[in-house]
Amino acid sequence: MTHSEGVAPPGGATRRRRAPLGKALAPYLLSLPAGLWLLALFLVPMVVMLSLSLQSCNFGTGACVMTWHFGEFWQQVSLYHSQFLVSIYFAGAATIIDLVVSFPIAYWIAFYGGSKKNFFLLMLLVPFFVSFVIRTIVWEFILSDQGIVLGTLKSAHLVPQNFHVLATGYAVVAGLAYNYLPFTALPLYVAIERIDKTVLDAAYDLYASKREAFTRVILPLTIPGLFAAFLLTFIPALGDYVNQQILGGTSDTMIGTVIQNAFLTNLDYAGGSALSAVLLAIALVGIFAYARLLGSRTIEEYL
Amino acid sequence: MQDQHSPQPESGDSALDPSIWRGLTQRRMSRRQMLAATGTGAGALGVSAFLAACGVKGASVGSHSVKAGGVGSASWWAKQKLHHTVNFANWPYYIDVLSGKHPTLEHFTNLTGIQVNYTEPISDNLPFYAKIRPSLQAQQYTGYDIIVMTNNSPPLGYLINYGWLTPLDQGAMVNFHKYASPLVTNTSWDPGNKYTMAWQSGWTAIGYNSSIIKDPGSSVDILFDRRYSGKVGMMADPQELGSLGLLAIGVEPATSTESDWAKAAKKLQTQKSDGIVRAYYDQDYINHLKNGDTVVSQAWSGDIFQADLNSKYRDLHLLIPEEGGMFWTDNMCIPAYAQNPKDAMTLMDYYYLPEVQAVVEYYNDYVCPVPKAQGVLLHPTGWAEQTLKAMHPSIGLPYSTTAHALTVFPNAQYKANSRNYYKYKSQEELTAWNNLFLPITQGA
Repeated sequence: MTHSEGVAPPGGATRRRRAPLGKALAPYLLSLPAGLWLLALFLVPMVVMLSLSLQSCNFGTGACVMTWHFGEFWQQVSLYHSQFLVSIYFAGAATIIDLVVSFPIAYWIAFYGGSKKNFFLLMLLVPFFVSFVIRTIVWEFILSDQGIVLGTLKSAHLVPQNFHVLATGYAVVAGLAYNYLPFTALPLYVAIERIDKTVLDAAYDLYASKREAFTRVILPLTIPGLFAAFLLTFIPALGDYVNQQILGGTSDTMIGTVIQNAFLTNLDYAGGSALSAVLLAIALVGIFAYARLLGSRTIEEYL
Repeated sequence: MQDQHSPQPESGDSALDPSIWRGLTQRRMSRRQMLAATGTGAGALGVSAFLAACGVKGASVGSHSVKAGGVGSASWWAKQKLHHTVNFANWPYYIDVLSGKHPTLEHFTNLTGIQVNYTEPISDNLPFYAKIRPSLQAQQYTGYDIIVMTNNSPPLGYLINYGWLTPLDQGAMVNFHKYASPLVTNTSWDPGNKYTMAWQSGWTAIGYNSSIIKDPGSSVDILFDRRYSGKVGMMADPQELGSLGLLAIGVEPATSTESDWAKAAKKLQTQKSDGIVRAYYDQDYINHLKNGDTVVSQAWSGDIFQADLNSKYRDLHLLIPEEGGMFWTDNMCIPAYAQNPKDAMTLMDYYYLPEVQAVVEYYNDYVCPVPKAQGVLLHPTGWAEQTLKAMHPSIGLPYSTTAHALTVFPNAQYKANSRNYYKYKSQEELTAWNNLFLPITQGA
């Protein structure tokens, strides 16, 4: 979006010549691998999932019969709407925390990282080389009621004896925010890094204060990156089923856990598929809203 | 579903607590889930779609019966030959270990010349069943000659009902008929031991921290005690949770009815809404009990015993309440279309030798299917003595501790307090049960 778009070619009229056949086909041929990938690994499974949500399955044999049971969707949503709401709320809170935390980091690396930018980026990412689940389990140890943090605070009488972090919604939100931080920080970094630094000088030349330069120059230029970061964080966090199980308590179940139990504990493939379809629909609404607000072009620039 | 692993020697503050290994190998983090969790954003969406595809594939296969050819009949067994190899699938941390090897398996190979490919792919009954089901439907070898399934979870019943287990060679069960405990012979889930031989058993009972709870009483009511609000751990598994609820309302789970289930669910719902339950746990309940996050929790007998091996956790005790402790058994069985059935039979019967069970139990501490192993632990001789001696430094317990543990060799009172799980008669019943108890663990 910082390139030459909006600069009309002189004369206005398009001056395109008819391309030879090979050239005309080239874009399609080039996109074929990606297209096949999408078809085989996204569209086909999605269709299978949708069809499965309308079937009735035998738990033991796994045999499913198409029954066009559309009621499944309504039934599942009415059973689990509160888990959907919890998921949206937790994923949203975690994403906002991530945006607030990552912005200064990304800004600092992009503007002040100098020749060590790549090193700082690596520093940001190193903790995430360890598997997601293991890091979450380690938090479980650190935050346990008598653990290193709370145990110490309790013996110093700084917090009440029955205070606990684990088994609360706060712990789940914190876990989500921690685990998905790179998904926010990297797109933000890309957005900030590509800002032409001379526009800042221009702003100062025009008597902008530091705050004005930030709110009226930097921030507007990073908005597409902010939205990309939001989506990249919010959507996976929405379907997360690890953090809640490890860090959560009795009344903060997220929809990912429900789906997991439907498939693994209950072998209820139809119900699980219906819930997955609804979750997918929610995610798609987010993406379409994004496309409407900012135009679909900006998505690929930041993803 | 059970927490089937045993003392990775828990010596003091060793760098990796066994609970970490447990965490890595147990259901909560199966490989599949791990992949989905670490996947770049696919998350639950991806894994759901993947599983859905599997479900549809299964649908294309219909009937299932291995009656043809008299598989499992005496004449069929007579025709089977040893192939000197056997593929054994078990749960993690469920067999004796010495310097990274399994002494009882090595001994078996020395005695019989049969090589054992011992793997630990089973971390939960249902997902493992879902994994081998497509092979069985296609009438193919699952890759395993022996699998271990728990009697309290639906898959064992499915395998028997659909003819997906090879009937055992009764003539080859010499040691079994000689030494097996009445607890595991002619069981309710497999009358006449037609398909199964027990690997180990255990109780789902109550674990509590005696440094905080001085007077645990003798009832399941302790799990509903307001004094421990927010410090009570319950199990997320609907079978375990529901059974405890039934015990709490004074109903025998095995003979309960749907209206009892509803009452039990209500009791458990109240327990939750009163804020008594801290969380519904999978296998990690034991870490929370050790950490002090919970002070009383539903617990598996072997876990508490193993925790006590570490002096840090001596305060943890097991209570088998007067209402009863749920008794479960993990069963060895031979899946249909197994390629090495005779080798499998040989191995399964070998594990009913008292000296072999003594070594397994010294490591495992679950309920021993061979009572005579107690005598071996008290007075070991020959191979058993050498092996136990070699294992002693890493386990650090006198053999007699294991021999006298009531959770390994139960007395009459322990046996009398054992209760069986409800056996679902139909899919509708299972659905009804799950629809009552799953929502409790999935509150929002």
